[in-house]
Amino acid sequence: MSRDLRSFLDLLEREGQLVHCYDELSPEPEVRALMRGAADMGPTSPAVMLHNIRGYRGKRLVVNVHGSWANHALMLGLPKTTGLKEQFYEIDRRWDAYPGELTWVDGPACRQVVLERGFNLLELLPLCKINEHDGGFYLSKASVVSNDPDRPGDLDTENVGIYRLQVLSGDTLAMQGLPFHDVAVHIRKAEIQGQPLPVAVCLGVDPMLSLMASTPLRYDQSEYKYSAALSSTPLELCKTFDGNLNVPAGAEFVLEGEVVPGVRVPEGPFGEFTGGYSGARRQVMIRVKRVTHRTDPILENLYIGRSWNECDTLLGLPTCIPIYRQIKETMPEVRAVNALYQHGLTAIIATGSRFGGYAKSVAFRAASTPHGIANIKNIILVDGDVDPFDLNQVMWAMSTRIRGPQDVIVIPSTPGHPLDPGSVPAGMSCKVIIDCTTPEPPEPTMRDVRTVGAIEGAAHFQGLLSDLQSDLQHKNDGVGA
Amino acid sequence: MKCVRCIDGDVEVVARAPDGSGAWEIFRCTRCNYGWRSSEPESIIDPAKRDPFFQLDNTDLSTLVSPLPLP
Repeated sequence: MSRDLRSFLDLLEREGQLVHCYDELSPEPEVRALMRGAADMGPTSPAVMLHNIRGYRGKRLVVNVHGSWANHALMLGLPKTTGLKEQFYEIDRRWDAYPGELTWVDGPACRQVVLERGFNLLELLPLCKINEHDGGFYLSKASVVSNDPDRPGDLDTENVGIYRLQVLSGDTLAMQGLPFHDVAVHIRKAEIQGQPLPVAVCLGVDPMLSLMASTPLRYDQSEYKYSAALSSTPLELCKTFDGNLNVPAGAEFVLEGEVVPGVRVPEGPFGEFTGGYSGARRQVMIRVKRVTHRTDPILENLYIGRSWNECDTLLGLPTCIPIYRQIKETMPEVRAVNALYQHGLTAIIATGSRFGGYAKSVAFRAASTPHGIANIKNIILVDGDVDPFDLNQVMWAMSTRIRGPQDVIVIPSTPGHPLDPGSVPAGMSCKVIIDCTTPEPPEPTMRDVRTVGAIEGAAHFQGLLSDLQSDLQHKNDGVGA
Repeated sequence: MKCVRCIDGDVEVVARAPDGSGAWEIFRCTRCNYGWRSSEPESIIDPAKRDPFFQLDNTDLSTLVSPLPLP
């Protein structure tokens, strides 16, 4: 079975997780308000297909596809009620299936319509300002494909990443790549050679690929192969027209073009994942040479801004898993990592302790993982029997474990994420370690208070009571019908 | 017509409502690249009503931060 955005939307609809809006909405500000409203619906919020945006009548825009943990579970092929911790462990289990299988198809769906000239991206795509003071019209969920100029055809260094793209005109885009992004390596190499860098901007792809395009993989790890591995399904690709790049065959739109070497153009501001606007900047420019799309294509975009929103759900678990696995390589006592918050600016780590002070060593390890160096700012450590995804449990640990100065440590002048408003100057920050674990010898223990342990059989009764409640709900629904 | 954000740049029409309704046009500043739709609220398209924080008047655009400087 091939996987693409449409097949996933069909699944969401069958599961009650896709709704349609046929009312006419203004591109600004009503579409933004709808996206914010969907984000505010919480862990079961649905994807929304908009059919009637003023001026774009006849075009379709889908938002909030990854907007809830229910949709996220369905993407993984799990029941929509699957808990967050279970989804975390399921992704971690599938991680070992890398590399997944890739196949190449002729006559791909993404090429049902080919536009070589005369296209206007601002008219072709139903674009709406995501936040009020954005510097223009943005693609916020585009998977950008590029490759290392020194390694043409190498699937492992071919990169698929989601970067913000401002549509400047009918055929130009400004893109933000940051120095630690893989695409920045490709751009730099091409510019040193004075060559344009071929890129393909893919819109509306298999949701698993969007997930992997958001994941901080190693430079030589393939987002395509991970996507296939995590979905347990071969991923169908095709070549771009000039043969330089591979793109998902089922994409709704593919914008083929190149980064123009030696050019920087004004871009932004843009409401970022931190909830603040980044300032106007000078960014690389992409010239689009060709557009291909499916018949009656669907544009997919996401709301990003003040948390919680689809960006948080999309980035969430793919941020957690690599950090978890990298720490666990040398520290098997680590049980789970919750780095859901603003791409890991805050991470909560559940860990056992081998000896006194061990949890702090776990924090140092987290802070030195590739993603952690610049992204993780606040590190909260809890005991291994605390579910780091359950904030009630985390707050309990904080309330009853912190002893003061020795458990709250600030390391100043470390690398930081330049988009974090707390990073001053941009790119510099600190590490805040909050150790909420129970001290182990030889460190003096806490006062001699025993913790109330886990209660055997509680999980059984939890399931039973949930079933009883569900039966009652069905009975009441039946009476009301 | 001048840009509503940098006040200095010339403006071009880069798109019109593709359904032929005439509902809006999209403008782009050829200097600072600000893009806006004619149907947006006055707080965005009227320079006098815009939030000064987001204005780029009297700004040398070459001084804007470039996350990927030219090699």
